[in-house]
Amino acid sequence: MTTTHAIESSTPSSEEPIVEAGTESAVVLDGVRKRYGDVQAVDGISLTIRRGEFFGILGPNGAGKTTLIEIMEGLRQADAGTIQVLGMSPWPRNVALLPRLGLQTQKSAFFARLTAREHLATVAALYGLPATAAGPALKLVGLTGEADKRVGDLSGGQRQRLAIAGALIHEPELVFLDEPTAALDTQARRDLWQVLRELKAQGRTIVYTTHHLDEAEALCDRVAIVVTGAVIALDTPHRLVGAAHVPTRVMVPVGQLSTDQAGALPGVIRVTVEGGSVVLETTTAGATLAAVGDLIGLDEVQTRTATLEDVYLELTGSETRS
Amino acid sequence: MTAFAALSTANYKASVRDKTTVFFTFAFPLLFLVVFGLIFAGQEVEGSGRNYIDYIAPGVLSWGVGNAALFGIAFTLMQWRNDDILRLIRMTPTPLTTVLASRYTGALVIGLVQAVLFVGVALLPAFGLSLAGSWPLALPVLLLGVTAFLSMGVVVGSRANTPEAVAAIANSIMVPMAFLSGSFLPIDLMPAWLQNISRALPLRYMNDGISTALTGSGDLATIGLSSAALAGFTVVFGVLAVRTFRWSNNS
Ligand SMILES: Nc1ncnc2c1ncn2[C@@H]1O[C@H](COP(=O)(O)OP(=O)(O)OP(=O)(O)O)[C@@H](O)[C@H]1O
Ligand SMILES: [Mg+2]
Repeated sequence: MTTTHAIESSTPSSEEPIVEAGTESAVVLDGVRKRYGDVQAVDGISLTIRRGEFFGILGPNGAGKTTLIEIMEGLRQADAGTIQVLGMSPWPRNVALLPRLGLQTQKSAFFARLTAREHLATVAALYGLPATAAGPALKLVGLTGEADKRVGDLSGGQRQRLAIAGALIHEPELVFLDEPTAALDTQARRDLWQVLRELKAQGRTIVYTTHHLDEAEALCDRVAIVVTGAVIALDTPHRLVGAAHVPTRVMVPVGQLSTDQAGALPGVIRVTVEGGSVVLETTTAGATLAAVGDLIGLDEVQTRTATLEDVYLELTGSETRS
Repeated sequence: MTAFAALSTANYKASVRDKTTVFFTFAFPLLFLVVFGLIFAGQEVEGSGRNYIDYIAPGVLSWGVGNAALFGIAFTLMQWRNDDILRLIRMTPTPLTTVLASRYTGALVIGLVQAVLFVGVALLPAFGLSLAGSWPLALPVLLLGVTAFLSMGVVVGSRANTPEAVAAIANSIMVPMAFLSGSFLPIDLMPAWLQNISRALPLRYMNDGISTALTGSGDLATIGLSSAALAGFTVVFGVLAVRTFRWSNNS
């Protein structure tokens, strides 16, 4: 608990990403490899996560995300490469490092036959904290009403929130969350976003995995896309989307514009009809929109720009096809 | 609360909320004691001049305590590994020794409560056990017995990955051992070669030591030998336990 003061005093004032992420490193990986039998789960990953950064690890099932996170946490030993976490090596078990890390594993762990509050009080004690730490942690994840239910009687999403509470109870500097929002309902997911943003605003570093690309785009300062154990892209969501040159879609109600007319407009590379709209895919949205505006006005025109999901599908799709 | 106290509390709550464990720890051995005690009430064992209850009470006590110690830690370790609780503990600054110390203390307390309960029942007039003045010497034997069976339980719990496997392995160790060591049948009624085999079993020494202390059937040397043998088994299984211990089911 000696570490929280440092966090509080360095609380940044702005929520602007990147700028607030410190230049100091929270995690430095160099050439990390891990093999299970004949599966090369992590195949030479090198990356740096800055302090205060919200870092997303994305990738298809079996890409090696959990393995990579477990190596950073010190739960698993890498076969090769160097790992520095808050300036220290997480392997073998490093007691100086442990109180500064918080983690929620993909498969959550609970003490048998205890209530939510009792479970958290036990976890708190393992970190040398009083049992009273359980109350605020339950509140943080919205489980106050479920405090005295046995863990086994909680719903899947509630159990997941309890696991997150366990990861945060000792106010760690560096938080690892493996698919924290996987089982959550829409409201709980948004509530957790708020919690995570507050943690980031307090200057904590968050490393997390998710299959929700909209969420990664909304939360992460940077994301790494991992496919078959290797990083195939690493940047801010904004720059990844910009660099991918995924066409913008301009949608016009059917009847206002023929497909032939649409195909002749500047920048349009493809025209389809979907769900009552003529869809124009364009690489130069500005020019296309101006032309559409000249022809039929823009009142009923909708546009959809590329999202991280489009980029992700393009990158991971081409990677698995090759 | 210290980590030790918190783990002990969690362990205590989990135990008393599990009715099956409570039954097999307290009621089940008591059932054996009552049934055998009533069947053979007042009878002497041929050739030794001692009452059946003098054999059965220490015998059932040793078996019940050993059984609970072995099953308890084996189930807990298997379950904690399956539920990733060991990984959770591993990621906190609490040392593994604190976890083990809390389990050890818990097992000793359970053993003591069992002993008080079983001896208390055997002392009832219907069963007719009478305590010898040397009874406090049963305490060190009890402690060493719990320790020996606990170390065996760590090995079982580290090898077995399912509740079924724990039950199968632990039962195939404990049931034959109980009969061979004279927990249910007076050892003096067994053929000499079986008695010799029983010398290789920890329960035999726990029986001998506890029976000597409670009923005065042997001398101080018997208790000394029993204690030494139980300590020896603890060392052997302790080494095996350290070698087989795993933090999680996959490495
Ligand atoms: N303990 C293990 N033993 C053997 N193979 C394993 C083990 N854990 C993971 N693997 C394999 O390693 C690869 C990477 O697994 P990992 O769990 O890291 O993927 P992931 O990216 O987290 O997937 P998901 O999105 O489904 O959680 C997979 O092919 C998986 O089958
Ligand atoms: Mg995973």
